[in-house]
Amino acid sequence: MLKFITKIAVVLSLFVFSSVSKAADPIRIPVLNWSSQIVMANVMAQVFEEMGHTAELVPAESASRYEAVRIGDLHVAHETWESTMALPFYAAMDKGGLIDAGSHNLITFEEMGVPNWVIDEGLCPGLPNWEALKSPECAANFATADSDGKGRWLEGPYEWHTDVMPNRLKGLGIDDLWTVKFAGSADALWAELKAAKAEGRGTVIFNWSPNFTDAAGFTFIDFPPYFEGCRLENGGTLETTGCGSPKGWLKKAAHIKFPITHPDAYKFYTKMSFTAPQIGLMADLVDSQGMDHAAAATEFIAQNRDLIDLWKN
Amino acid sequence: MSQSLDSSKDTPVIKCESVFKIFGNNALKLLKSSNGQVDAKTFQEAGCIVGVNNASFGVQKGEMMVVMGLSGSGKSTLLRCISKLTDATSGKIFIDGEDLLSMSNKQLIELRRNKMGMVFQSFALLPHKTVIENIAFPLQIKGTSTLDSMEKALEMVELVGLKGRENYFPRELSGGQQQRVGIARSLAVEPDIWFLDEPFSALDPLIRKEMQDEFLRLQGVLNKTIMFVTHDFDEALRLADRIAIMKDGIIEQLDTPDNIVLNPATEYVKKFTEDVPREKILKIESIMDAYDSNNSSSTQVSKDAIIETLAESILNSKEILTVVDKNNEIVGSLNPAKVIKVIFGK
Amino acid sequence: MLINFKNSRLQQFILLFFVFLLLYFLVPEDENSFLWRLPPLLKDIPLLINNLLDNLMFKWLTVPVWDPDWQMYEDKPIFRLITRSIADFLLFLIIFIREIFLGGLQTIGSITGDSLKGFKWVYLPAIPWTAVVVGLFILGYRLQGLGLALIASIGFFYVSIFGQWEPTMETLSLVLVTAPICFVLGLSFGILGYLNKKVETTLQPILNIAQTMPHFSYLVPILVLFGIGDHAGAVATIIFATPPMIRLTILGLKKISPEVVESGLMSGCNRFQLLFRVLIPTARRDILIGVNQVIMQCLAMTTIAAFIGAKGLGFNLKVALNGLKIGKAAEIGICVVVIAVVLDKLSLAWANKQKDYFANLNFYKKNIAFIYFIILSIILGVIAYISAFYFEKGFNYLYLIPFGEGLTIAPILDAGVDWIWETFFYYLNIFNKFLITYVLFVMRDAYLGMPVVSTFVLVMGAGFIIGGVRSCIIVGALILFIALSEYWNRALITAYMATFAVGVSAILGITVGSICARNDISTKFILGICDFFQTFPSFIYLIPVILLFGITDTSVMIAAIAYASVPATRYTVEGLRSVPSSLHDAASMSGVSNFQRWKSIELPLAFPHIMLGINQTLIFALMMIVLGALIGTEDLGQIIMGCLSRPNGAGIGLTLGIFVSFICLAADNLIRTWADERKKLLGID
Repeated sequence: MLKFITKIAVVLSLFVFSSVSKAADPIRIPVLNWSSQIVMANVMAQVFEEMGHTAELVPAESASRYEAVRIGDLHVAHETWESTMALPFYAAMDKGGLIDAGSHNLITFEEMGVPNWVIDEGLCPGLPNWEALKSPECAANFATADSDGKGRWLEGPYEWHTDVMPNRLKGLGIDDLWTVKFAGSADALWAELKAAKAEGRGTVIFNWSPNFTDAAGFTFIDFPPYFEGCRLENGGTLETTGCGSPKGWLKKAAHIKFPITHPDAYKFYTKMSFTAPQIGLMADLVDSQGMDHAAAATEFIAQNRDLIDLWKN
Repeated sequence: MSQSLDSSKDTPVIKCESVFKIFGNNALKLLKSSNGQVDAKTFQEAGCIVGVNNASFGVQKGEMMVVMGLSGSGKSTLLRCISKLTDATSGKIFIDGEDLLSMSNKQLIELRRNKMGMVFQSFALLPHKTVIENIAFPLQIKGTSTLDSMEKALEMVELVGLKGRENYFPRELSGGQQQRVGIARSLAVEPDIWFLDEPFSALDPLIRKEMQDEFLRLQGVLNKTIMFVTHDFDEALRLADRIAIMKDGIIEQLDTPDNIVLNPATEYVKKFTEDVPREKILKIESIMDAYDSNNSSSTQVSKDAIIETLAESILNSKEILTVVDKNNEIVGSLNPAKVIKVIFGK
Repeated sequence: MLINFKNSRLQQFILLFFVFLLLYFLVPEDENSFLWRLPPLLKDIPLLINNLLDNLMFKWLTVPVWDPDWQMYEDKPIFRLITRSIADFLLFLIIFIREIFLGGLQTIGSITGDSLKGFKWVYLPAIPWTAVVVGLFILGYRLQGLGLALIASIGFFYVSIFGQWEPTMETLSLVLVTAPICFVLGLSFGILGYLNKKVETTLQPILNIAQTMPHFSYLVPILVLFGIGDHAGAVATIIFATPPMIRLTILGLKKISPEVVESGLMSGCNRFQLLFRVLIPTARRDILIGVNQVIMQCLAMTTIAAFIGAKGLGFNLKVALNGLKIGKAAEIGICVVVIAVVLDKLSLAWANKQKDYFANLNFYKKNIAFIYFIILSIILGVIAYISAFYFEKGFNYLYLIPFGEGLTIAPILDAGVDWIWETFFYYLNIFNKFLITYVLFVMRDAYLGMPVVSTFVLVMGAGFIIGGVRSCIIVGALILFIALSEYWNRALITAYMATFAVGVSAILGITVGSICARNDISTKFILGICDFFQTFPSFIYLIPVILLFGITDTSVMIAAIAYASVPATRYTVEGLRSVPSSLHDAASMSGVSNFQRWKSIELPLAFPHIMLGINQTLIFALMMIVLGALIGTEDLGQIIMGCLSRPNGAGIGLTLGIFVSFICLAADNLIRTWADERKKLLGID
């Protein structure tokens, strides 16, 4: 009996301890699965610790993390790409709890494109002008086993832009030559890039910049320019829906209480605004120089000390 | 010993009074409406199966009662009613004068921990425990300290002749050895009442014979009150003080082996007794006459001896022998002609 | 002929198939016809579920909680408060164990609160990895002997020198918390199910759904209820890894002969003693298989857990795969397998340990291993402390080899993958094109061209033939639920992929299993391989298959087959090995060839067990097909994955997850009924 009581006491005390342990509330930063994002998270963590906070890096998934930010389990979501994450970002904002903490100092390109060697090998003469896609010979070079003889557009996961790409093909009048295939994840896109190169097969994929693919050379296709309302779902017509993608933003999201619980950290967070080369450097330190993410962050801070100090104050 | 049982004034160790066990959903209701007159057929039509039908008997201290019957006769069910592994549907069961059916769970556990031991047909050893752990198990359940229970278990290991195999697992033993473990386990708490449910049925004939001898030897030493269930009539005859023959839940006849062989009560019992070699069963006692001092020779035979064992010498002697009991007191005389009649007669 | 019909399953099936084909070709493709497609009457269900979930997570039974940040009361739902306190408790345990291996300040911090925050010494130092390896050696030796000691210590030695110590310990701490919880929960529910028939019948469907529902469909609810972090990963793992433990516990307890129970009762056991000293130990064989499964499933979840915040190998794996670093990913995968093997063997040895009752030991002798461990740990700790001054660059290799600073065989593995690519790509490409054009697309179109009425006739008819009216209705109801939704076409695509994957996996598994079950050595070998592939994170397959087969259904199928062949093989081997040897002898005496014996004796006898394996194969295949959405599919999985970013995604995700499990349940019903019947016929149980 005594044993039983002690056991209960131990369990209960663990409960108490565990709730006490919440008292020291670290700033929780999500880490996703690509280098620049992880290094940026580490940079923030190190800066927050310099400021006397504790920071914790939490592995997360890119779409579902906004719900976690919304209910306060994560404090920030620091790399929010318009093209791929706008939907969950705004959904969380609508439900309340997530705030927009500004954008990074860069314009993102998010568009269909081809790796440079596709142009060099002349697989589709006339690229990057989209008119080149009208040629059946060009489309044939991009056919795959499951594309039914048409050229294949490899779009990102469906929920990134839903029907924009199929509509664009229709709008441009090339849907008889090309067909859209949705990849399941960014990983699948990169694997396709590598496989196509090894095979010497043409590939048109959705990609963005800044990205690690910039290094190997990637060319975005020039589509008819984007304007507000050109797309079908925004009230456009079949004639206008062939327009390209808008220049995108890279936003920072925060939990609504973050400014109150950690005001100085939040101030830093709003001021923090990286440029494309800086984000490229973060990725490069890890991907090319083989550093571990935390070390890359330290290195990055050392190289950009002035800027960081400016944002801190 | 056996003859004096029914008239004995001692309370029997086990006593059953019109015990019924009926399986089925509305067994109790049916039983009440039938007023104690249970007919297996009508019950079966109502969706009930009669396990034990109006069993009444008593088992005296030190007595070995064998319940014999073919499969489905209700013999194991009767045993389980008395050990309360199943609840009797109605009737009364007394263990040492205490009402078993009204016992609380706690009392029942105490009873089992101290007074009862049981051996099972399929041995029912715990596969994860070694021989010695299996034997010590009931003691540990009782709360005996580990060291004491192990020492006691070691004693039991020796008693059943398994010394040197204490640390074997049941799977490493032969059937006979496993049942020795089962026996040792059931004896570990030194119970007064010993239940054995077809303990030797799963064994080879040779091993069975050996185990029966072993069992008789143990009983000779321990002198427990025993209820022994078997489907083997020869086994019953060999071991029993008294035999209860069951059919369809009813005890057809309850008597000493001799009486059953000599005077089967029903046709059913008779079928069993027909092929029994009587000389192997009957004791001198059952064919002796009143003592006639004029005629009897000085050669003495024990009244408890089995006829067959002495047949040759009796027939050779050609004279009327004197029968004595354990204390060498003369109790009767034996005419060899009667022996011949038993062996060769009808 | 007609008289025979009632008894001949084959004829019944032929008739059924004939009717099916008739309907297939007679019913025209017409969106307005109910014979072609049912109207989406249940299309509001996802929203309903979403609202229910929303209520549960955010609105139901709220209590005002003082929020010091806002300086006001905030309404918090009780349900979430409860789940959150469970989560906190889990997190505390995980961090406590983690800090033993890796050091840290949160455990002490949680006891002392903020008061000691400023002091540097408030830090729990880690046990040096050398001491952990030595400790495992001692533990292994103590539990079983040199063999186990070597396996355990070399396994962790590998992990350390390959620079995976930190993530491995993070994963290990998660598993060391979740596996015992799964064990206790599984055992308790198993016992309850055994004691109470009602509990068992309620548990069955819940277990089925928990085991078959794709993980992604409940990630968001877990994230909201338990928060993001290791604790959420632990919860997801527990949901997934407990069901087999419950099942095996019930199975094991049911197998106990009534006489053993009686012998326990006659020994005077009270209820607790009977349960804990007789029933559970007697069922230990199955319970230990349950423990093995718990450990395997816990580790199989490492990658999924990383999606909701679990640190460790799973996260690193995702990062490596994003960079297409297959070699590195494989290295990480091997660490997962190492943990699985070591934990499995240690727990087994611990459970099998025999006690010596007559060794009269004093305290010192009893705890000699522990004392050795303490002494060695202190020595190694001191060495690690001293060595800190020796190593430059700030890495102390005798304390903790940092991530990425160890040895690596990744380049070799990568070269291997490249070699396979260069050597086989041409042929694979031809194969790929052939498969897609002549098999997969044909099959897909055939499934999509199936009128709903013929689907029902086929499925319910099969149910009726196999299990009578009951099965017919159950299966029909499960499928009807899907047919009345908007996602029927997608479900058909999922079904087509599942059929193909299960078909190929079954043929592969049964063939390989049959060959390997021939002798003891190959049996052991193949079961080891099965264990390896069951724990080796299935995510790793995704990238190489894309490289080889592109973003096509072939890739998804290959990945699914690679994973789903495991249970088919395992159950075939087990089933064949359990055929009694007397039957082998009897067969040999009647002069049959090996093949005849396999075909007419072993296979029929092992059939029920193999069918259960096919059941598992389906579950594994569906899991991988849903995961295949990461490659790019157009089935239910694509939507489930997409639901993570949609405003009302939780409800849709959950609904579609339930659809996937309904497909499993329907197949499960048919397979199980059939297997049970065969079992009864063969008299095995």
